[in-house]
Amino acid sequence: MPASTAPDSGEVPDSDLVKRCQAGDTRAFDALVSRYRGRIYAMTYHMIQNETEAWDLAQEAFIKAWRALPRFKLDSSFYTWLYRIAHNVTYDYLRKKKIQGDGEFDDSRTEHKAAAGAETVPHGDDAPDTALKNAELGQRIHAAIAQLSPEHRQVIVLREVEGLQYEEIAATIPCSLGTVMSRLFYARKKLQELLKDTYENAT
Amino acid sequence: MKTPPEDHDLIRWLDGEMSATELERFTARLETDSALKAEAEFMQRMCADVRSALPAEMPVPYGDFFNSQIQVRLTQETVGSSSVLTGERASWLDWFRLPSFVTAAAVAVAVVTAGVMIVRQPSEVGNSLVLSSYAPNGKVQVSSYQSAEAQATVLVLDGLEAIPADRKIVGYHIDRSEMNTEMAATTLYGSGGEVLVVSTDSRNQPRLLAAAMTR
Repeated sequence: MPASTAPDSGEVPDSDLVKRCQAGDTRAFDALVSRYRGRIYAMTYHMIQNETEAWDLAQEAFIKAWRALPRFKLDSSFYTWLYRIAHNVTYDYLRKKKIQGDGEFDDSRTEHKAAAGAETVPHGDDAPDTALKNAELGQRIHAAIAQLSPEHRQVIVLREVEGLQYEEIAATIPCSLGTVMSRLFYARKKLQELLKDTYENAT
Repeated sequence: MKTPPEDHDLIRWLDGEMSATELERFTARLETDSALKAEAEFMQRMCADVRSALPAEMPVPYGDFFNSQIQVRLTQETVGSSSVLTGERASWLDWFRLPSFVTAAAVAVAVVTAGVMIVRQPSEVGNSLVLSSYAPNGKVQVSSYQSAEAQATVLVLDGLEAIPADRKIVGYHIDRSEMNTEMAATTLYGSGGEVLVVSTDSRNQPRLLAAAMTR
C-alpha cells in the first residue's frame, strides 16, 4: 500500500485527527486535507492529465472520505485508505469518460503545464541545456502516458508513482497478479513505442 | 519471440520482484541474449525517466481555496438535507470558477468606480432588493430588475465605458469565522488593482460587501 507520510515531530498523528473527524471535527479533517492533498492531487493529475478535472476529483475523493470516515476502523493507515478511495473515484471517472488510449491523440487531455516535467528535474547542478532536455523529456512522457488506456495508466501510476508491489496493485485495482504483470508489460511496451523516437533522437 | 511468462520475467526483473534464484537465472539470460538485454536496458532507463516525470506529490493549485471549498461542502452536508437550500449542492465558491463571475466582479468594480450609490434593503430571504439608485455621473443610467427564478438581482448600467474582456482575478484571501465555519468573507484582487470583498447571503449567493481601487 502507498506509504503514509509520517507526520513531523510535533504534528498531530493521523490517528488522532481521524478520531476527531469521527466526532465531527471538520477542522481536524482540514488538517488531513492539507497533509495529503498534494499526493492525492498528484495521483489524480497523473491519471487524468488535466489540471481542472484532477483538482475536482481530488476534492471529490476527500468529500467521499469524510462521508466514509465513520466506518473507518483505523485498521490501515489513513493515507492508504484515502488513496484507495481517490483511486476508485478517479478510475470510475475515467471509465465513465471512456477514454481509450488506442484512440486518436487528444490535445485536450495533455494540457499539463510545460513545467510538469521540469518540476522533477534536479535543480541547481544541471546545465541549462540539460535541464531543458529533461523538461522536454518530461513533457513527452506526460503526452505518452495520456495516450495509454485507463487500465494501463492505472498500473503505471500505481507502480511508478506510488511504488506499490504487485500484490498491493492487485489488491487496489482489484485483479489477479497475472493481470498486473500483463498490464504493466503492455503499458511499458506502449510507452516504449511512443517514446522510441524521443530516445533515439536524444542519443 | 518471447512467450507471456518471459514477458513477465522482464517486468518482474525491472520491478525487483524476482527471487534470488530467478534473478540469477535471468541475469545469465541477459548475458546471452543481446536483444533482450537491449530491451531490458531501454525499459530500465524509460522507467526511471517515468518516475522522475511523475512526482508522487504536486502542489495543489489554489491550495487554500481547495481546502475552503471542501469545508463549505462538509458544512452543507452537516447542515443536512432538510436545509431550505435543497438542490444547491455546489459551493458558492464555485462562482469563482465561472467565467461569468469574473465579468460580474468586473461589473461590480465598475459600479463603484462610477460612483453609483445603491441603497439596499436587507431582505428576509437574502435577495438584494434595490429600492433606489443614484449615479453622480449623469451619463450613467442605472436600472435594476429581479429574477425570482434565477434568484438574482441584475443591475444595468447604461453609459459606462466598455469593461475589458480580459479583466482577471489574480488573487484571493478567505477570512473564515472561527465561530461559524459557514461564515466567510473573501477578498478578490483584480489584475487592474481592484479589490473586492465578497460574502454570501442566506441563499448562499455571492454578495459584494465592499470594493475599492488600490491604484
